[in-house]
Amino acid sequence: MSDVVLDLDHVVKRFGDNEVLSGVSLSLHRHEVVCLIGASGSGKSTLLRCANLLESIDAGTITLFGQSLNDERIDPDLVRRHIGMVFQSFNLFPHLSVLENILLGPVRALKRDRDEVREEALALLERIGLRDRAHEFPDRLSGGQQQRVAIVRSLAMRPALLLLDEVTSALDPTLVGEVLDLLRDLARNGTTMLIATHEMNFARDVARQVAYLDHGVLIEQGTPEQIFTNPQHESTRTFLERVR
Amino acid sequence: MRTFRLVLAALLGATSLVAITLTTGVASASTQAKLATCKSAINAQEYTRGKLTVGTDNPVYTPWFVNNKPSNGKGFESALTYDIAAELGIAKSNVVWVYEPFDNSYTPGPKKFDFDINEISYTAQRAKAVTFSESYYNVTQSIVALKGSAIATKHTAAELKTYLYGDQIGTTGLAYIYNHIHPTQQTRVYSTLDEAVLALQTKQINAIVVDTPDGQYMATSEVENAKKQPDGVQVGQFPSTGEHYGLLFTKGNPLVGCVNVAITALRTNGTLAALTTKWLDIYTSVPVIKP
Amino acid sequence: MSLGTDEGSTTPNLFAPRHRRILVGRRGLAASTISSVVLLGALVALFFFAPGSATVRYYYFNGHNMWQSFVGHPQTGLLSVGRGFVTNIWMCLLCEVLILFFGLGVAWVRVSRSAVLVPFRVLATAYTDIFRGVPLLLVVFLVGFGLPALGLGVLSSQSPDVYGCVALTLTYSAYVAEVFRAGIYSVPNGQILAARSLGLTHGTIMRRVTLPQAVRTVIPPLLNDFISLQKDTALVSVLGAIEAARAAQIYESTVFNGSGLVVASLLFLAITIPLTRFTDRLLDRDRRRRLASLS
Repeated sequence: MSDVVLDLDHVVKRFGDNEVLSGVSLSLHRHEVVCLIGASGSGKSTLLRCANLLESIDAGTITLFGQSLNDERIDPDLVRRHIGMVFQSFNLFPHLSVLENILLGPVRALKRDRDEVREEALALLERIGLRDRAHEFPDRLSGGQQQRVAIVRSLAMRPALLLLDEVTSALDPTLVGEVLDLLRDLARNGTTMLIATHEMNFARDVARQVAYLDHGVLIEQGTPEQIFTNPQHESTRTFLERVR
Repeated sequence: MRTFRLVLAALLGATSLVAITLTTGVASASTQAKLATCKSAINAQEYTRGKLTVGTDNPVYTPWFVNNKPSNGKGFESALTYDIAAELGIAKSNVVWVYEPFDNSYTPGPKKFDFDINEISYTAQRAKAVTFSESYYNVTQSIVALKGSAIATKHTAAELKTYLYGDQIGTTGLAYIYNHIHPTQQTRVYSTLDEAVLALQTKQINAIVVDTPDGQYMATSEVENAKKQPDGVQVGQFPSTGEHYGLLFTKGNPLVGCVNVAITALRTNGTLAALTTKWLDIYTSVPVIKP
Repeated sequence: MSLGTDEGSTTPNLFAPRHRRILVGRRGLAASTISSVVLLGALVALFFFAPGSATVRYYYFNGHNMWQSFVGHPQTGLLSVGRGFVTNIWMCLLCEVLILFFGLGVAWVRVSRSAVLVPFRVLATAYTDIFRGVPLLLVVFLVGFGLPALGLGVLSSQSPDVYGCVALTLTYSAYVAEVFRAGIYSVPNGQILAARSLGLTHGTIMRRVTLPQAVRTVIPPLLNDFISLQKDTALVSVLGAIEAARAAQIYESTVFNGSGLVVASLLFLAITIPLTRFTDRLLDRDRRRRLASLS
């Protein structure tokens, strides 16, 4: 079986007259962490949403497990069960408890046995130190706790890869650390992830590849050393200066 | 002896005749005198000076009014009003009609008319709140139903209880159903008689109880089938309960005195009977049934 | 002018103008007490000392008549207002269930994007437009007299209560559908994105994510509609059925005293006031929660 989990080939996305993604090509290998960096509006979120079939693409190909997602016979719901996504605004379901939030996907989408999933979910919550909050509702948790629950919610689906869209940008600075720590943990355990982020130090630590986007164009891609220490393009250099 | 008795009879007859003529003459004379007094005093008692303001409902029906226009003088109550006005020396052009829904007429409080004429039956309850003139028509209640319906042929006292009746709220027809018929099914009560008729036509109710002249008109002209053909039948009328219509005045309105005089005059000179025959004649031909 | 705070030379006046000082502190309390007493007193005085006061009190607020109208005496045509009110209540409860069901159904059709449902969407839009536009009274007439006139067997031989309920359901469902629709649209898009990312189908998302949140949001306006419905059940009297208001009217036209109307009003208030207070409490609690989560 191929090592490439997700492949984007010259993906183009337009919103009306505005071309948000201009022929972006990117590959994500098993157990690999790729970080997307770039200014707001550079197309990072759109790219992630296209990968997840939440947005349709106007040109190019997206391939998952070697299967092209352009095929009409593809069921998007089925595809999304293999791809986990975590959002900037957590998006936990406020009317369900923490535990119920995690159970919903596996029980309703994967049709798994509820009790079995319950055990797994509680174990996951234990791993992030929130087992005792299992029956509380999201509004009682801090931002950092909610985001970690959101990550666990995606993991409960046992996806092939995780897409993370600026998951710490909405958090109080003191809470960013706990989320990044969890992501570091996941990376260490070999979780395949595509992460859009502003946290440069974090990217440096965990990413195998860093890709820089500017106005929908993938300007440069390379290892963290290559990008952060020795950026090749003017645009990359300017961006890195500003975020330093 | 025979001659004597003949002469006595003749004398008695003649005396009686003279007496009657004299008393009625005296009565007429006193009525005329009262009328004369009224004609001059009436202005002060009127709602609007110089006019006779008469209230009635909208719409109003044959045979009491014609074409829903009280001012055309046609129909029993319209004609009666103008005759009363004439007796009181009020010109036809000075009779003004105003709208007063039936339900409102007998509520307490000052009225915005001199009197209301709208087939309003005198009841002791109503008389507590308003003043009635003396009777201008003695009324009986009757049943109206669809042609060929069960009630048209089966209407013994026991059978009458089994039907579903409908009627307008606040009418003596409705009261008759409650007080004399005692049906087993709850009677439907509508805001207007039109709606009750509609319910009858659409077979939601079996029968309506309404005064005999109204019932006659209803059965022959109002109740129609889908092809717009008359479909009603006046099954029968009930024995009189002493109910009568009176003109309705604000409580304590002194004008009722003069109006009563006018009514008496019309009765005496035969106008009232003539009006009854002209507009309400048909009621004598309706069979009587017992509740 | 430079950017920065004001370096003003004189101390600004911080005292409220004299005429407004009366509204603060202890004097404020006195002022509000006095104004309440004066207003209340004026209304009470108006009621008791108006020229027609005795008549009105006898006619509308007579204890004996209020009891008699409440209990009724069918043999003389005095129907019980209390018994009539039972009709109002069961109609309200039954129709409300139907209304919630149809309202939700229509809303669901209107928000769905399935191609199969296009003709139904058009119908649903027409339905809500029409029945939010035609006055309820007219709908009652058209249904209550129109359906029997059609002569369609079972459809045409129902009691007026049934037709009244049909008319109420037709009209109120249109409003409730719009309330539900607004509720559905108010669910944040992020919720839907997260649900879709989990691979849940559209149907499951609607049932497990959207509707539970939408319904919680719209409970206050739905309660308002319910309170309104309770009062509108009186309209079934137009079709000849006897409910509380009509029974009160019959009492009035027979005994010639309007206290029955006051009794009927009090019965309605006995239901609607607790509901209104409850709705207010829900709204308050919802507001507090929303504002807490924003801050």
